[in-house]
Amino acid sequence: MKHLFKSKTFKNILSILVILLLVKLIWVIVEIIWLPSSGVYHKDEVGGKSLYYRVKLTPNDSSVPVQPSKPVKIAGSIRDITLQAVYNASDTTVVTIVYKRKTQILGRGDAVNGFVLEGGGSNYATFSKDSKIYRVDLVKSKKSTASSGSIVPGKPLRKNKRPSSSAPQKVQGEVVDAGDHRIVDKSLLTHYANNMDDIYKNIGITEVKEDGAIKGFKITFVRRGSPFSKLGLKRGDVIKSINGQEINSYNAAFETYKNIGNVENLTLVIKRGKEEMELEYEIN
Amino acid sequence: MQVVKNIFISLFLVWFAFLLFMPKQELYYALEAELLKQGVEINEKQIEEGIFSLSVKEADIYVKGIHIASVDEMQFFTLLFYSSLNIEVLKMDDSLKSFVPLEISKTVLMHSVLSPFEAFVTTMGSFGLAEGIVNLKKRTLRIDLINVKEIKTFRSELKKDEKGWYYETSF
Repeated sequence: MKHLFKSKTFKNILSILVILLLVKLIWVIVEIIWLPSSGVYHKDEVGGKSLYYRVKLTPNDSSVPVQPSKPVKIAGSIRDITLQAVYNASDTTVVTIVYKRKTQILGRGDAVNGFVLEGGGSNYATFSKDSKIYRVDLVKSKKSTASSGSIVPGKPLRKNKRPSSSAPQKVQGEVVDAGDHRIVDKSLLTHYANNMDDIYKNIGITEVKEDGAIKGFKITFVRRGSPFSKLGLKRGDVIKSINGQEINSYNAAFETYKNIGNVENLTLVIKRGKEEMELEYEIN
Repeated sequence: MQVVKNIFISLFLVWFAFLLFMPKQELYYALEAELLKQGVEINEKQIEEGIFSLSVKEADIYVKGIHIASVDEMQFFTLLFYSSLNIEVLKMDDSLKSFVPLEISKTVLMHSVLSPFEAFVTTMGSFGLAEGIVNLKKRTLRIDLINVKEIKTFRSELKKDEKGWYYETSF
């Protein structure tokens, strides 16, 4: 009988096919047992954002009609006010000032020389006039410093002194306590919006998880004297929401951070101990 | 001699079949699942399989849900004894400009069995040209900037020695 194929060639082809088949079979088994059949797909968070409104009480965008009034003569400036003493608590601020050589005691909302007392800190008081906020520092004791015994004159907060080039880089902008809320310089926000690494030098934040889901971000440290400590944030606070947006994911936190330079007001809901509280900020 | 020849042919066949039938797409999905454990997610628009390679096109990279970068194309290539990953046009999110260069036009990561505990990186971008080594044993990465151009925005992340600017980290 004549063979159509050489038996050796046939055997070789068969061996190749067996090898290919075996390898394929191994891969199929690996694929079925260990490998996933579909990939991971990231879903953007949709609809998770709570609505948050700031209501303007003026009709439309038009300015409030100005009532005709007698022109008031502006007498003096903020420099005429000397701050002698300050008592500041969360609900009240009382200051002792000297104006035109007369000592006066003012409570929050009282006015002198057209400047209304808005609030204060441990060593300063804030006054408002014509929608501007002014800060008056406490007069320094002559005993404490030989070189400077006078007050730092009050001036609009936006005009901050530039740090000298040799001094360590200091962030521009201030946070001023205005009683029921705090006023944050826009430049401060802009700085942190552009320099993320500067944030971590001043504040430590870590996630808080409950049942595997992020419930907020806990503050692990706040650098003393930093703008973050002036915001009223303390170690152990848990940030729950910012401007109505629940901070329940890294993405939510990051999106809020990315838009921080564009906000006009800021409301933080934090949990301090067992109490939940709201911190209000005006961006100026 | 014939026996040796047959062994070599068989080994070659096994090697070729191993690469040919490798479920590359599923292996890539397994890689995605592993990365997910570290909080890294990759969303790709297209996956193309080749005999020795796998191309992932138009991918968005998220870390802990945050979009950090997009990639035009990632090409995985392997011959088992030599593997590489080519990344074409990596665009980082604008908010990371103080940490990393915003656009990296090309990155090549290579691994060879000749130095099994090291992988080599070559990258090009607005910062210039950089070459580095990933030490898999010590779990370190060092990238030396060879031809420095624009590094102003992320200079704070770099170190300098007698060779010049370099980036160093461990993982």
